Amino acid sequence: MQISTHELKSKVIESLKLQDITPEQIDDDAPLFGTGLGLDSIDALELVVLLEKDYGIVIKDIEEGRPAFRSVKTLAEFIAAKRPQ
Amino acid sequence: MADRSPVITGLGIVSAAGFGTEEVWRAVAAGTSGLKPLTLFQSPRYGQIVTGEIQRDLIALGAPTHSSRSDKLGWLAAREAIADAKIDFQTCGDRAGVLLGTSVGGSYDSELFLATLIKRGKMRARPTRFHECSTTVDLIADSFGLFGPSMAIATACSSSALAIAQAAEMIMSGEADVMLTGGADSMSRMTWGGFHSLLLVDAAGCRPFDVTRSGMSHGEGAAVLILESEESARRRGAKILARLSGWGLSCDAYHATAPHPQGAGATAAMQSALHRAGLEPAAIDYVNAHGTGTRDNDIAETIALKTVFHNRVPPFSSTKRVFGHALAASGAMEAVVCIEALRHQELPPNPGFSKCDPAIGLEPVTELRHAPLSHVMSNSFGFGGNNGVLIFSKAATSPQTRAPKKVQVAVGGIGVIGPGAIVIKQITAPLPPGQGPVRSCGLLADAAMLAPNQRRRLSRLQQMAIITARHSHPPDAAQRVAIAIGTGLGCLEDAGAFIENLVAKDEREPMPSRFPNSVHNSPAGQVAIDQAARGMNAAPTVGEITFECALWQGISQLNTDEADCALVGAVDETDKYLLSIGQRWGAWNETIMPGEGAVVASLAGADQLASPLARVTTLKLGRYHKPFDAEREADWIASVVDLSQADVLLSGAKGFRKLEPMYAAVAAALIQRAGKKLEHQTYKQLCGEFHSASAFGFSIAVKLAQERKCGVLLYTLSQRGAKALCLVQP
Repeated sequence: MQISTHELKSKVIESLKLQDITPEQIDDDAPLFGTGLGLDSIDALELVVLLEKDYGIVIKDIEEGRPAFRSVKTLAEFIAAKRPQ
Repeated sequence: MADRSPVITGLGIVSAAGFGTEEVWRAVAAGTSGLKPLTLFQSPRYGQIVTGEIQRDLIALGAPTHSSRSDKLGWLAAREAIADAKIDFQTCGDRAGVLLGTSVGGSYDSELFLATLIKRGKMRARPTRFHECSTTVDLIADSFGLFGPSMAIATACSSSALAIAQAAEMIMSGEADVMLTGGADSMSRMTWGGFHSLLLVDAAGCRPFDVTRSGMSHGEGAAVLILESEESARRRGAKILARLSGWGLSCDAYHATAPHPQGAGATAAMQSALHRAGLEPAAIDYVNAHGTGTRDNDIAETIALKTVFHNRVPPFSSTKRVFGHALAASGAMEAVVCIEALRHQELPPNPGFSKCDPAIGLEPVTELRHAPLSHVMSNSFGFGGNNGVLIFSKAATSPQTRAPKKVQVAVGGIGVIGPGAIVIKQITAPLPPGQGPVRSCGLLADAAMLAPNQRRRLSRLQQMAIITARHSHPPDAAQRVAIAIGTGLGCLEDAGAFIENLVAKDEREPMPSRFPNSVHNSPAGQVAIDQAARGMNAAPTVGEITFECALWQGISQLNTDEADCALVGAVDETDKYLLSIGQRWGAWNETIMPGEGAVVASLAGADQLASPLARVTTLKLGRYHKPFDAEREADWIASVVDLSQADVLLSGAKGFRKLEPMYAAVAAALIQRAGKKLEHQTYKQLCGEFHSASAFGFSIAVKLAQERKCGVLLYTLSQRGAKALCLVQP
């Protein structure tokens, strides 16, 4: 099942308390960590909480989530593939 | 000159792997894991993962009933160490003190308060009485009769390494002859839920340095060292177990939880410890690593080891699988391991390790083996990149430890966020509703100094610390900056929200951003990042004298030439729980109001400052006797400072009722013997009552010294027995 990247961006902004940024300003393919939005390891953990709370996907090892956290696009694909039906 | 080198004359330890030095060494030598399934509390989400929980009846072993779990652990370790050292503190007067690392404090017990409140809507007072990290220190000092300086340090997992280092500083500088030092921390739902929220727990038990390692194991415990000057030990014919020959403190100033990837801070702390000990790296025969078993720690630590030892890393091991990670107590527990290794001349193994990680390329000691050991190193690293390294040496070595020099200390700048308007605060359900006046700081006027994305995860208390630090000192990359910013109760808002969420939601939806903010050293750690301050990073927590202890720590870094500048201060905030507990038990009224605030002052040698605001000419810490004797106190004050230098006595009166008659009597006794006009002034009517209030008093003392050219005596008593005296002069 596809999920809206716009909705996902809003959730990411809210969960990470990102300031002065709108969903429109985040490119689907832009890297979330490092140079892109400049997120760090604690943000990754907040994304883990978001995945469980909103999509029922439980991540027990941060390494599992790493490929999914590259960009909003990879995150949306990860959710679509792992989401319990 | 009397020999001030610190030596160890007594040890005590309580842990999941055993009670007492002998039992613990047997477990360490055999490489036994002390980890067992959790039974202390229910964990709906994480079940019965193995931990280093102590599953023995602490009261049956003699621990005091009216105390927190951490207090009980600390008290039992202290009792053993005192018996081992065969020391009678009655003969020590005020020359023996207590300095412990604690970071969980009474959290395990006060969580019961919150759980009852949230689930049953009832407030039970008792658990919160032992909430503070410093109750362990006060309990031990009162119970065993130590009247010298007493202090608790809360820098998460490096707390007791910092405590031991600063106890050594107390001895080297001549402020005490004997220090009971170490650390104590119990398990708690907070740290349990917290490390799980960071995905840092290995369900199979920690496996430090192993290629398959995937995290740490929780633990708890306490260890106490009796540290004394060599002169004191020889005078009383004590057996010298080992020496503490060097110590080094540093801060990564990098991130709230992640270590610096190249282990820069760890490297600096090890190098500083070697320098202090006057030793070359090649002199170190063994390293007891921090080795938590998390992927990042073990890589960063081994990179640091390779740097410090120029790729000739001495035998090393982590004993975390023996004890679990006992957080603030772990540095002291591992100090016991190091001292026992020296005494047995044996290298302890690293249980949990089986296969080398190519990313590390080093193997720890895998089996107990004999080796000639003269000098061994113990590493402890905590949240906020807070690093403490200790070097222990065989009793029969000659110490080359560098001695401190006394620096004329001056205040270069000061930042205050303080007691603005009186705000009426409504306390919300499920607490008893009500309202009362609070000396609140309100909105942070200078918050715009911080970039929006810098602020998004900072707690209010951290923002207060950063803003006041910036007012006191512009960041200067050319300076070596040490930080000591204490707090009585820490980030109440974050800690409260974290536990509330954990209890109400049965551990679902953890809060990984909140947990790192809940540690007492998070304001100091965030200031370090903001100021790129890589020197010592300490967070004392000592009730009403918290600020004076931070002042002492900062001055000690100037005296030892470890820093060019020290940022010292204290921060505290109110929250709904604090307000309602105080309200429920009648602590507040129209004149005694709860307060909050932040003060940071920058200190440097007087000759280094172009226009100093004032000088700090005397600072003395201690404990008062019970029942309180004002004449005895006045004698003590007159013996510490020349009363003719003081024009104003600035006391912590106008706060909690219990201390009122004590302050009044001491003021009267001092005015009588001053022989000149000594004016008694107070500051709590301006800022309200809170643990860091004396920091606000200090800012007034600096202002009075500067504007009225008078000497100000800042005198502070804590409700639980500690006291501090500070003379501020133009």
